[in-house]
Amino acid sequence: MMNMKIFIAIFLIIPLFASLSSFIVKNKRFAEYISLFSSFLDLIGAFIILYFSISLKTVSIFNGAIVIDKFSAYIILLVSVVYFVSSMYGISYMRLALEDEKMTDGEFFRYYLFLNLFALTMLLAPMINNMAVYLIDIELTTITSAFLVIAEVTEKSIEAAWKYIVIVSAGISLALLGTILFYLSGNIPGSGNIASSMDWTSLSLNAGYLNKDIVRFAFVLIVIGLGTKVGLAPMHTWLPDAHSEAPSPISSMLSASLLNTAMYGIMRYFNIAGKNLGFDFPQTIMIIIGLFSLFIGVMGIINQKTTKRLFAYSSIEHMSIIALGFGLGGIFGTFGALLQMLGHSLTKPVMFFGSGNFLHKYKTKDINKIKGAFYVMPKTAFLFSTGVMSLIGAPPSIIFISEFLIILQSLKDGYYWMTFLLIGFLIAAFVSLLSKSGSMVFGKAEGNFITDKGDFSPFSYIPMLLPLMASIILGFYIPGSLHSLLSGIVHIIK
Amino acid sequence: MLGYSMPLYVYVIEDLLVLLVLLSSFIMLSSRWISFYIHAYGFQSFLIFVLTIILGIEAQSVDLYLVAFLTLFVRAIFVPYILLRMIKKFNIKEEVKLTLKIPFSIISGVVLTVFAYFLIYRLISPFSPKIVVNASSIALSLIFVGFFMIISRFTTITHILGLLVIENGIFLLSVVVVPTLPIIVELVVLFDILVTVTAMLILSMFMKMRTGSFSTTMLNRLVG
Repeated sequence: MMNMKIFIAIFLIIPLFASLSSFIVKNKRFAEYISLFSSFLDLIGAFIILYFSISLKTVSIFNGAIVIDKFSAYIILLVSVVYFVSSMYGISYMRLALEDEKMTDGEFFRYYLFLNLFALTMLLAPMINNMAVYLIDIELTTITSAFLVIAEVTEKSIEAAWKYIVIVSAGISLALLGTILFYLSGNIPGSGNIASSMDWTSLSLNAGYLNKDIVRFAFVLIVIGLGTKVGLAPMHTWLPDAHSEAPSPISSMLSASLLNTAMYGIMRYFNIAGKNLGFDFPQTIMIIIGLFSLFIGVMGIINQKTTKRLFAYSSIEHMSIIALGFGLGGIFGTFGALLQMLGHSLTKPVMFFGSGNFLHKYKTKDINKIKGAFYVMPKTAFLFSTGVMSLIGAPPSIIFISEFLIILQSLKDGYYWMTFLLIGFLIAAFVSLLSKSGSMVFGKAEGNFITDKGDFSPFSYIPMLLPLMASIILGFYIPGSLHSLLSGIVHIIK
Repeated sequence: MLGYSMPLYVYVIEDLLVLLVLLSSFIMLSSRWISFYIHAYGFQSFLIFVLTIILGIEAQSVDLYLVAFLTLFVRAIFVPYILLRMIKKFNIKEEVKLTLKIPFSIISGVVLTVFAYFLIYRLISPFSPKIVVNASSIALSLIFVGFFMIISRFTTITHILGLLVIENGIFLLSVVVVPTLPIIVELVVLFDILVTVTAMLILSMFMKMRTGSFSTTMLNRLVG
């Protein structure tokens, strides 16, 4: 276990070092490559942690302050995958931003300072055992990413960051209240203080002894509070603003890894509340909030006129499908939701990176003004359109399998009306996303024709290619190790 | 634990203190001036500090003393100080823009307090003494009032203060209901307050530089 302690410490120090050194050295190339290198090391580290948690069951170090089971290791892997591709794409994006958007050098180094800190807080979150400390860590992700949203200081980005901080901080304080109530539920005077702890391990172990009324109230508070961070409607209002005003690499990190990190917290409480009250209560809440968010997400997708807001609403849609999957429960539902988390982390960066490339080429986020991308930047356009197919769940794609499993579970449980609604919303999102991206990629440009054709440097499309390939390959074939990992997590949640 | 084996006058003092806390939140609801607001917040934090000290004496817990003094430094002195300095530095014109008239704000505050009392009564009255029910329902009402202040006032400073009042409510609730809470939790919450307030002040400085005011009414570009 000694080795594991040192390993985890190094794993967390790497991004901290990258962040501070890039801010101190003030050399642009150095800042870019140290971030890329640190994210690469953390990606390898995440695989090693995953291997340990599979072979050694649960890693518990620093007196149980840090506990890593399969679920945590899975989330850490998702975060580090997105961290890696985002810092690779960031090289291309930030160079172009320096060239043509009047980004100052100060803003450039501040970006790298907070990029790695943001990754650090997200990598730390799934490891923390004490749920109150976890929530404060989630609050720190808000602070660091708010400074990334204002990487380019404009009136719009300030507005987005302000809304983001105020709404999410208020949400997190509700979740904190819920956590304190969970502590109270196991610590009632006269009950012998059976579960006198805020650690999810001990709460989950002693879930049967908690006070049922308080747990019921506290779980609702947790879903509202952390749901703010996940982007579940009606607490989602910060999400489209922050995602659309942040630089593209940050949008992808916000969407593809931060939302999963917050969903992880909800699922820990879901497990405790389910063991205490029976799984019907938390499942019903997840289903209700999931369906409502699905409605809001799909309506948002249909109404959007700018690229990044479109994909922000698509994130809301994906997270609501994940919430629905967990809410339906069962083997297929939970498995599908976990798979959807992976699919979301693999496909969302592709879309935000593609939008970032379009933004630099066409100088606009307006869908109606981006036309004929296939003739202007063929590589990006090809990957972008394949990515859209993958995102909306056209086979072969990992999202097709996960959505299929969730639909299967709802049919199996006999929720026919919900299956009907789910399929209807998915088709609406499918058609809308396809027509919008189709007009961007293949549409005919009128008037101002782009003269300098061609893609940007390889750093602009390789980060799109890698996760997209993974998503398509996993659509054909899910390796046995991934399957057994996810089945293990299903048993942890249930 | 609050409410066990102490002389009667201690309870009277505690009840009075939580009542004053409630009063200070109503002072915030009824004031038009930002500096008044900040002073009321500092006063509220100071009351919570005194209450925590008394609880610490009751429970004979060193942790609670530590938390109380950190609360004094962070919530009652440091945060109000930097907020007041901010106002002086940027020469903010002091009046808060209200969406709702003051009498309506106060009535809403009363309704929220009653609602908080009902919630707490249902949740913890079976196993808690009356004084804990009183104190924790006032703590919960602080949380509600904080939310109300965020949605009904349109300057960055009042948004920050609303969040801080929510935090105060959570702190009061945790000290009163679960004094055995691990100290690490209180420490990280205080750390979080420092970081959040600093970040929000930096953001509002950016906002002042770009838009020339601290008002959030002009934040209406991003919709849909």
